[in-house]
Order: sequence, then C-alpha cells, then structure tokens
Amino acid sequence: MNETFAVLGLFDSADALMEAVPKVKARHLGRLEAYTPYPVHGLDRALEQRRSPLAGMVMVMGVLGALTALLFQYWISAVDYPIITGGKAPSSWQAFVPIMFEVMVLFATFTAGLGMLLLLNRLPTFGHPVLQAKAIRGITRDRFALAVEAEEGAGDGFAPVARAALEAAGARDIELLPAPARGPWLTAGFIQKSLAGIAVACLVSGLVMYGAVKLIPVLPPMSHMEDQPRLDPQAQSTFFKDGRGMRMPVAGTVARGFMPPGFASEDEAARLVNPLPRTPAVLAKGRAEYQIRCAVCHGALGNGIPTLSAAYGAKPANLQAPNFQAYSDGRIYGAIVLGKNAMPSYAADLPEDARWAVVHYVRALQRAQNAKDEDLK
Amino acid sequence: MSADRTVKLLWSATALGGAAAVASYFVMGGPRFWANWVVWFLFLLTLALGALFLVALEHLVSARWSVPLRRIPERLASLLIPLCAVALVGLGSLKTLFPGARPEAALDPLLAGKAVWLGVPCFSARVALCAALGLVPLVVLLRGSLRQDRDHDPRFTIRARRFAPVCMAIFALLVTQAAFDWIGGLTPAWYSDVIGVYLFAGAFMAGLAATVLAVIYLRGKERLQAVRFDHFFNLGAFLFAFTVFWAYIAFAQYMLMWYGNLPDEVLWYQAHTGGAWLGVVVLLALLHFFVPFFALVPRDAKGDLKRLRWVAVVVLAAHWLDLYWLVFPALGAPVFSWPELGFALFFVGATLLWTRGAMAHGEDMPVGDPFLREGLEFRL
Repeated sequence: MNETFAVLGLFDSADALMEAVPKVKARHLGRLEAYTPYPVHGLDRALEQRRSPLAGMVMVMGVLGALTALLFQYWISAVDYPIITGGKAPSSWQAFVPIMFEVMVLFATFTAGLGMLLLLNRLPTFGHPVLQAKAIRGITRDRFALAVEAEEGAGDGFAPVARAALEAAGARDIELLPAPARGPWLTAGFIQKSLAGIAVACLVSGLVMYGAVKLIPVLPPMSHMEDQPRLDPQAQSTFFKDGRGMRMPVAGTVARGFMPPGFASEDEAARLVNPLPRTPAVLAKGRAEYQIRCAVCHGALGNGIPTLSAAYGAKPANLQAPNFQAYSDGRIYGAIVLGKNAMPSYAADLPEDARWAVVHYVRALQRAQNAKDEDLK
Repeated sequence: MSADRTVKLLWSATALGGAAAVASYFVMGGPRFWANWVVWFLFLLTLALGALFLVALEHLVSARWSVPLRRIPERLASLLIPLCAVALVGLGSLKTLFPGARPEAALDPLLAGKAVWLGVPCFSARVALCAALGLVPLVVLLRGSLRQDRDHDPRFTIRARRFAPVCMAIFALLVTQAAFDWIGGLTPAWYSDVIGVYLFAGAFMAGLAATVLAVIYLRGKERLQAVRFDHFFNLGAFLFAFTVFWAYIAFAQYMLMWYGNLPDEVLWYQAHTGGAWLGVVVLLALLHFFVPFFALVPRDAKGDLKRLRWVAVVVLAAHWLDLYWLVFPALGAPVFSWPELGFALFFVGATLLWTRGAMAHGEDMPVGDPFLREGLEFRL
C-alpha cells in the first residue's frame, strides 16, 4: 500500500503549532487538520475551518425547550385542568419559569452533547488513520500534530513536498500515514457477530440477574409496594391510645353536601323552598336518584305500585294521592331527610342537592300523571 | 480632543450638574434631592467595591491572567476615598428618606423595637465604621502595589495573598451594610435575606463594566498595548456569567416572595412593580439581563472590543436603573427629569475627573509583580 493518507508534522508546543499553520497553509497542499492533547483556542480560526453550527443549534433548541415547557405548563395548569394552588391564578407565569429553565437546559445540553458527538463528529467511527500513527501516544499527551491530508489523486509527489513544507514550518518530527484499507465494514460477518454479541450479552445478564434475585433473598427486585409503612383501613394501630387505625373525625365535622338539616319535624321543613332551578340537568339528576332510591317502593310513576311490592308487608305511599299533591316542596324534602312511617331517612344516602333534585322529579311525576289540557299547548 | 479641553469640559459638566443638583433641592424639595444622592452614592460605592472585589479575587485565588489588568480596578477602587465624603453628606438624608430614623418611628409598632438600630446615631456610626474599614484594603493592597512598582519586592505579593481573605470579609461587610442600611432602611418593614447578594451581583457587574471601559479607553490612548484578545475574552466571559447570576438572584428573590405572599415581603414588590414601576421593571430586565446576555452569548462577542464597550455602557446604565428602582419607589411614582440629569452630570463628571487623575498615577501595569510575565503570556 503506497497510497498516502496524510503527512503528520509534530510540534512541541501549541504556539509552535499555531505559528506553523499559516506557513503550511500558504503552500496549498491539501486539507489541514490539527491533533492536540487539549483544545487550543484560535486553532479553528487559523485552520480556516467552517464555523461550527453547534452554537446556533444549541440556541434554537434551548429556546424551543423553554417554549415547550411554557406551553406545556400553561396547557396543564390553565387549560386542561385548572387548579388554584397557593391562591395564585392558574396561568401564573412566575411558577412556570423554573421548569422552563430546566427544560431549556435539558434541550440545550442534549443538543450540544449528542449534536457534537453524533451529528458533527460523526461518531461512532470505526477507525481513523491517525489512530494507527506511531505518534498517537504523544498526541494524546504532550505533542501537537499538524496533518496535511492528501487530495484525491495527489500522486507520489505529494509526500515529499508535504514533508518539506512541514519541516520548513518547524516540525520536530514527520510521520507518513498510509491510507487505510477501506473494506465495507457493514458485512454479513460483522452483522452476525454484532447480533450474536447482543444475544450473548442479554442471556448472560439475564441469568446473572435471575441468579442474584433467587440466591440472595435479601434483595427482592420489586416488592410491589407490599412493605409500605402503611395502616390498612379498619386495621388496629399501636400508635394511638384507643387502638384505632382510622381516626374519628373531629367533633362537629360536617361532610361536604351533608350539612345538618336544621329542622326536627316535617312541619318545620314545610317552609323550605327548593333552591335548585328546574333545568333538564337537575331533573335528570333527580330522575336518576329517584330510580335508584325511591322507585323500588314508590314505583316508577310514584303511584305506590312498585315492582317489589309483594316482598313487603308495608304499603308504600302513593305520591299521586291528593294529600301528597298538596305537600309543599319543603315537606317532601323533610320526609326524605327525616323518614316517614316505615320509610327510613335518606339523609345519609343523598347529598343536599340530590334530595332537592328528587323533590323536583317527584313534582314532575305528579304533574305528568295529572296533566291538564293547557299542558299540551 | 486635547487633554486640556477634556479636563475643562469635565469641570464645566461637573459644575453645571452640581448647580442643577443644588437647585433641585430648593425647587423639587429634599426627598427628591436625597433620593438622587443615595442612588449615586450607591452607584459609585458598588462600582468601587466591585473593582476592589476584582483585585482581592486575583490575590485570593492567585490568578495570573488578570495581573496585567490589575492596576485598572485598583485605580477604580480608589474611588472609595472621595466616597467617604459622599457617604457623610448622604447621612443628611436620614431624617427625610429613612422612616426608622424619624422621631415618629417610636410610635410605629413595626419600628419601635428597631428604633435604636435604625436611629440616626447608630446608622451614622455604621456608616463611619464602614467608611473607615473600606480604606484598609486601599492602604494594604493599593499602596503596596504601587510601592512594588518601584522596588519589585515579591514580599508584597505574599502579603497581598494573605490579606485577600480579610479583604473579602471587609467587602462582604460593606456590601451588606450598603444593602441593608441604605436600601433596606428605606422600607424597614420589608424583610429580604438576599438583598445583599443582589447588590453584590450588581456591584460586581458595575466594577467589571467600568474596568472594561477603562481598559478599552487606555488601549485607544496607546497604553496597555500588551493586553490581548485572551484577556478581553476573559473579561467578557466574566461579565456574561455575572449577567446570568444577577438575573438568577433577582428572579429568585422575586419568585420566592411572590409564592410566599407574606405581607412583610410582598408589599415591597407591590410598591416596586405597581403602576408605572412595572415599565421600569421591564426595562431593567431588558437592560440588565436580556440585552447583555444575548449580546455576549456568541463566542466571538466576548473578545470583541466594540461590542464589549457598548455592552459595558449598557450594564452601567442598567445598574443605575437598578438602584433607581430600589430607592425611588420610596417617593411614590417614578419621576425623571432635570434633577436626575443634573445629578448624573455632576457625579459622572466628578468620577471621570477623579479616575483621570488616578489613571495618571503610577504605572499602567503592576510592573513589579513577579507574575506579570505569566499574565502577559496568558492564553485561553
């Protein structure tokens, strides 16, 4: 193999290299490349290399990251599921800033790292002629190399001319790099070996993991949250004096929608006015609750002829009867809350607004079964 | 322009500005005059302290790259000498601007417990103590550095390195006193732990921007020719980094107080962002962060003298605006007209006259410093 890839000139210091670059550059022998143990500022400019697009990529991706975080947070907290936290408006930009900053950094660093390694430096590379050079140990430690790369069809005359140019520029040592044998690397054998290697790695690591989990019992891989320091419902607790795991609510606690009624008899309740409007939504809710709780005894039409009447000795009230027609809304509400005759209280089953919705629905049933002519107009 | 004409121009600007400043006392009243006085005192104090910080930092970490530049912040730090007088005159503002120093303070339940600390005697004593403390680094670091020019005695370098931690402690004390007393004292019911750090970030930027301007000016006058791209790049990178630091501190303080929503924290922000002050805040964010940040973010920009020069001017203007925003809400809505311009003329003129004198003092580089050669050969 007599083809030359490049001629390598070695220098003792960064300054010597920097001085040599314009001298060699002036000879226009071929592309110049420098290899140094650490980044030498200004070298890229001296070599007149193309400006790296990395800075622009990082800027664009950083701005994109910040915008992504802003839009995402805005959508979550102000559009999709607005929640007021700490008394702040859901769209408070101040709260978004830290996340925007973090995501901006994430996008920017990933772009910088991956863009540099994969996109711009074209890694992974399976080999480079300079790695075969005898001087490579020095280049990674304390020597500075300038390579004059041979152009296509440079011919035999190239190497001596390049050597002379480098020596004239003050190179302490010269090395010829032969062109590498360029076989296609993506051969069937290479693919087979790679796949086999991956398979062996999977098998070995799987076996080792299995062995480790089985043989070392103190290392359960996943306990599925079995061992939480948690108290199950109704369980006993040694922590509290009364031994109860579930705590009793503080005296006077009222659940939402279960405000105490504030009346003790139906007569007192009769004064109450239904606070709900008669809208299709309220009537639908009343209908649903009526069919769950009331229709079993009072019947789907409220006429006291239910589907299950045979099972009970008691005779459920016929809500269509004139005395119930004459009931005020509040009195029906009172019957639901306090219970009536054999009917128990439904206060624990129906929240306040559901009771009033049922009242509306009972009124609707009564009206539907006793429709007047003008209702049809 | 000849040197004589420049000096004459500076003197007349200072005189004109001084006249306008004095006139503003009688036309616009005491509070406006004193607020301007405090803003300019703090502006120059932070600038000088920032320069002193650069000098002390170099000794503290044994930096080599900045040795050729050190004489410039040393000369800027000498502003601490005339600032003693500015501070003492500024004590006249206590009864006007500072609620804790007024006699009514004893009646206010929020201030009664702190009346002694915020009162005129105690406040004045702190200012006097800090003025005296500020002169100590000047004696040790500046006089010694000038003496080393003549005798090339390396023992000064050793002494300066030993003194640097002490100097840093003095610096921290002075910045904190300035922040807590002169800014915090305007609204004694406000609690902020970070206002000292905030002022430090601004101080460092002001000192650095002034240093950059002075170095570029001297290079234009064919002095400091040995200062190279690499040195300017470092100055630019420093300025860039502290732009971000300032923004971080400013936003951190704002966000935490906004989140906490406590009356002893958030009321201050209500006064400082309400009404027309919101416009000032936006302008401050632009000038103090966004403009310098995006101007300095490209790699080549950090060593580009033209760009560094205008960015340094923007940073100094933004630092003035920062202090204006910290002090002036004590008077109410934002005001800006001829008294502010007069004060600017007076203090900028007087500062340039002083630094002009200081720049003629001694060599432009610490020629006796044993590390000067290494500093000149500095490569990035």
